[in-house]
Amino acid sequence: ASINCRVTSCLFSFIQDWVYVWSDIISTVEFNYSGELLATGDKGGRVVIFQHEQESKNRPHLRGEYNVYSTFQSHEPEFDYLKSLEIEEKINKIRWLPQQNAAHFLLSTNDKTIKLWKISERDKRAEGYNLKDEDGRLRDPFRITSLRVPVLMPMDLMVEASPRRIFANAHTYHINSISVNSDHETYLSADDLRINLWHLEITDRSFNIVDIKPANMEELTEVITAAECHPHQCNVFVYSSSKGTIRLCDMRAAALCDRHSKFFEEPEDPSSRSFFSEIISSISDVKFSHSGRYMMTRDYLSVKVWDLNMENRPVETYQVHEYLRSKLCSLYENDCIFDKFECCWNGSDSAIMTGSYNNFFRMFDRNTRRDITLEASRESSKPRATLKPRKVSTGGKRKKDEISVDSLDFNKKILHTAWHPKDNVIAVAATNNLYIFQDKIN
Amino acid sequence: MLGRGVKRKWSCLEEAEVVSEAAEDKQQHEDEDGQDGLLDPSRSDMSRLQQRQLVLGLCLEKLQRYQAGVELSLRRSVLLINTLRQIQEEMRSDGVGSCDVHPDSCLLRDDFREDVTVTCPGCSEGESPPELPSQEANGSDQQKPPAAVSDAVNAMGYLGDLALDDIFEDIDTSMYETSDLPSAWASGSLWPLSVSLWPDEDVKLRPQSHSTAGSLQSCLMDLNELDHIMEILVKS
Repeated sequence: ASINCRVTSCLFSFIQDWVYVWSDIISTVEFNYSGELLATGDKGGRVVIFQHEQESKNRPHLRGEYNVYSTFQSHEPEFDYLKSLEIEEKINKIRWLPQQNAAHFLLSTNDKTIKLWKISERDKRAEGYNLKDEDGRLRDPFRITSLRVPVLMPMDLMVEASPRRIFANAHTYHINSISVNSDHETYLSADDLRINLWHLEITDRSFNIVDIKPANMEELTEVITAAECHPHQCNVFVYSSSKGTIRLCDMRAAALCDRHSKFFEEPEDPSSRSFFSEIISSISDVKFSHSGRYMMTRDYLSVKVWDLNMENRPVETYQVHEYLRSKLCSLYENDCIFDKFECCWNGSDSAIMTGSYNNFFRMFDRNTRRDITLEASRESSKPRATLKPRKVSTGGKRKKDEISVDSLDFNKKILHTAWHPKDNVIAVAATNNLYIFQDKIN
Repeated sequence: MLGRGVKRKWSCLEEAEVVSEAAEDKQQHEDEDGQDGLLDPSRSDMSRLQQRQLVLGLCLEKLQRYQAGVELSLRRSVLLINTLRQIQEEMRSDGVGSCDVHPDSCLLRDDFREDVTVTCPGCSEGESPPELPSQEANGSDQQKPPAAVSDAVNAMGYLGDLALDDIFEDIDTSMYETSDLPSAWASGSLWPLSVSLWPDEDVKLRPQSHSTAGSLQSCLMDLNELDHIMEILVKS
């Protein structure tokens, strides 16, 4: 009963907490395992990490706030001389490693190269060296008359990010996913046609575990769009395709997992077939539930929850913006139909969230089947006020406060969202703005 | 200087008032062009045939759109080509053998380029070079991939991945080290390479003497460079 109350409040009483503004488009958002840190990557190859700080007396009704903890340049633009092509520095994905000591580790990737970063704090420094003075200049040896032991003195907190591993040259095509395995030793990286398994300590080689490249490229009709490791079973992973299918593979079965263990596909409704059917069925994101029992897929118009034990259809389907179905031709024309939206679970797997256009994002409560549309906008609500639910009017008559489909701004898309692993705190990236929302505690 | 996220406090919302006025204005107007809005309602009443024609034109236009130095998204290319194939299948099964298709539909696009004409698959196939892949030559007309699709596929540079395949190791690559090749050529495909490996598929090279009116190759390739490369390959 207490869980249900929590869930209801999570959907209907989110308030806007902070807005962070970037100079670049945010391309990925990810909380770490404890939720203490929130990492964001952007189109310029930068990573900004926020840290949750304790509740303060000035804000008793809210949880602590997130402040900038560390900023670093993860990837630089590169040039592929063989193909005469630029390699974008845009960060496609960030995934945290579980914390094992005082330092934090994360993997960040662009189209071609994955890097392991160590983020560590330094709040002490050694003073009283013998051979050099405080400025670092070497002391004249003749002036050294006695030896002293350097002592550690406190200093202002400094957060350092250093690249510990660089996993390069393993992907011919663009990397779309990385996923840390539950064994905490390996991780997978997926591009359009291949999936590789890496060991975190080894950078000069990886195992190719999936390869769907046909011998004759003219026969290519399907690409890999996302991949993820199972949260508990370190031998299991899934990958989704541009044809709306998901394959679950077991690495114990064979070295090359070209043959799936399970194949998830919903039969197509022949009455709704159009020229765009395949494009809108293309899966843009796949996420296991925290329990490991379900997985969620996002295609252009809907979010589907699958039971891993049932391959022939999803157990739940949620329409994100069904009103766009009659506008597919226009969306095809302006290329929006190719947008890749992500989706995420809340900590208890009772709710799911995904983004839409016009800076709208949607949340679905799996238990009560209620859903809500909220807007990430600086002008939409007063500070600390509960976010007002939004509605898109589909019929002829537009009610007050509703927005008509034709007035939606398709440049304002929310592709990346993240939900705190334990609390009802969410991070929503709207182009170059990062919004952090949380629900009221009382 | 690294960009830092700048925290905006709720008190700094003065500009929000200006912005919200603009937003309200926008909501009153219905955008007809560009990405901000959608096409006007009359478009949605298009017949299936009209829509098919529009989508076909858009498909080809999108496949042609090329930005030098930037790699095309394979996912997007595959989805576009699959859509194209689906439309052409439908056209074929509708018995469109004699240009039912109006090339004028392409003229609806504002940025229609004169060097592109859309012809139905039946017409373009008649003009295309006779040297089809030998493994597919046995198939009937219905089974051959339409010429426009092959063109599109080649244009996408599907065949252009070099980094990992060991089979390319023993190829003499000295001819590719010239910097004269336009980037469109260099990144469009490395299929001169594939010609030497799969001699049956010479078809992938469309020599300029056979370029069709509707050929995408002619839009993307510098044909002088093509001839030059052909000479080198034939001699080596």
